[in-house]
Amino acid sequence: MYKLLLLFFFVHASFITQKPVVKKALPVLQTDSSSIQIRKFSATTLNEYRQQRDFKYEDHPGEAESMWDQFWRWFWYQVDNLMSGKVTGNLINFLFILLGASALVFLILKLLGMDMMQIFTGKNSTIEIPYHESLENIHEISFEEEIEKAIANRNFRLAVRLLYLNCLKKLSDAGAIQWKADKTNLAYLYEIQNPEQQQKFGLLTRQFEYVWYGDFKVNQEHFQQIRNSFQQFNPKLK
Amino acid sequence: MEEEIFSSRTDLTQLNQSVTEIKNALAKVVVGQQEMITLLIAGILANGHVLIEGVPGVAKTLTAKLIAKCIDAGFSRIQFTPDLMPSDVLGTSVFNPKESSFEFKPGPIFGNVILVDEINRSPAKTQSALFEVMEERQITIDGNTYPMQEPFVILATQNPVDQEGTYRLPEAQLDRFLFKIEVKYPSLEEETAILQQHHQQKTAEQLEEIKPILTAAQIKTYRNQVRNLYVEPKLLEFVARIIHETRNSKSLYLGGSPRASLAIVQAAKAIAAINGRDFVTPDDLIYVTPAVLRHRIMLSPDKEMEGVTPDEVVQQIIQKLEIPR
Repeated sequence: MYKLLLLFFFVHASFITQKPVVKKALPVLQTDSSSIQIRKFSATTLNEYRQQRDFKYEDHPGEAESMWDQFWRWFWYQVDNLMSGKVTGNLINFLFILLGASALVFLILKLLGMDMMQIFTGKNSTIEIPYHESLENIHEISFEEEIEKAIANRNFRLAVRLLYLNCLKKLSDAGAIQWKADKTNLAYLYEIQNPEQQQKFGLLTRQFEYVWYGDFKVNQEHFQQIRNSFQQFNPKLK
Repeated sequence: MEEEIFSSRTDLTQLNQSVTEIKNALAKVVVGQQEMITLLIAGILANGHVLIEGVPGVAKTLTAKLIAKCIDAGFSRIQFTPDLMPSDVLGTSVFNPKESSFEFKPGPIFGNVILVDEINRSPAKTQSALFEVMEERQITIDGNTYPMQEPFVILATQNPVDQEGTYRLPEAQLDRFLFKIEVKYPSLEEETAILQQHHQQKTAEQLEEIKPILTAAQIKTYRNQVRNLYVEPKLLEFVARIIHETRNSKSLYLGGSPRASLAIVQAAKAIAAINGRDFVTPDDLIYVTPAVLRHRIMLSPDKEMEGVTPDEVVQQIIQKLEIPR
């Protein structure tokens, strides 16, 4: 029974899927009976075009090549030959990439403002800081005159300061120290090689520091004692 | 003659005696490290907190413990670990069922001398718990403010930041430390002395021998003396110029804060007092400046790549300035 139903289904399906056959009419040849007009090129226009440079396609021999141009043509020909080789071509490519990368690194480091030598040498670069030059150069002060002025004004604190600066000048002149505005008194003390000189300068430094940094009040009598100790020290420097 | 002219305006005899005793006591156990010991004492006298940095095994914690032992005051130790919580440091409010109210349980920060060991092993969350207490000497929890008892000193130790398991401390916290002391390896002679001392098994006995030298009251007195020392106005200008240069230096990304200027002056006063003077000299300022600035300033990226250290930048800044004389 099932087989019969299945057969009926397939037979029916084949009938309904078949396309209907349409009978086509036979083709008929169409003829063009319209009149034909023959157009001709204008000789004048053609001549005009012939005269224009843009329509001249034949090669011109051009001007003779100079020696310089010949050299460069030869140079680029050699470069082209060199780079077209299998091994050399790769090598040249590699070199060009290396050069390009180096240039890029150089540019980045320059933009960052880094010192490139420092990277290779490991030495620290100096830091740019505006230097505050001393307004008071000890080699340009007339100490005797200034000290007398300070004493006359009973400004003993200033007078002690001038005595100390004068002492530094004399030590510098004698080559015992190197005067530099950024050095502290302790730095000068360590710089002195002669132990006796160092010990005496230490005492003078102490007196100066008490008066100048410690703001200890100095009367004329005390000042005279301090001045004496400076006067005893200075001649020994010569 | 000198004594007649310059009789000291502030009597620093007791202070100097105490400092010498502490130095002698520490010298029995710690070999060398004189600068660290001097700066630690100066830090306490200047009412500041001190950060000690060094590779493991250079006696950072030992020195801090010994200093604490020399002070007759409440000592407490906090070991900073990655899982430490702010409440583990400051304390917390606990509910008391009997009284049906919250009761504050103080944390280990409540002490006089606090040793914070390995401070940079805890993350920023825990570090920020120390901000208020370090600057204002008080903590605020649940709307209540609890002041710290005087003296209050934090002695913190840390390994360098590039070591495993460490965090960089927040700038705001670093600025609250008066000094950052960098502990170097001992010299060959010092290393030999350490070995001899250890071989003779003296260390443990000498540790026991260290008795309190300073009392809380003495510290208070000495701090007052230090605070009142004289500083020549030109030296204040000198300090301001140093800090100004750090803010304008091309080598630095972050310069010194006004707190740094104050710290230099206060620390220099302490050093002057330790040296028996009741006034500050440029040498005192220059001595403390690297320790005050090295943790507060930040190098520019290019200088950091070049391997420049903060100390070198500070040194170069000082060298470009004229000493007031």
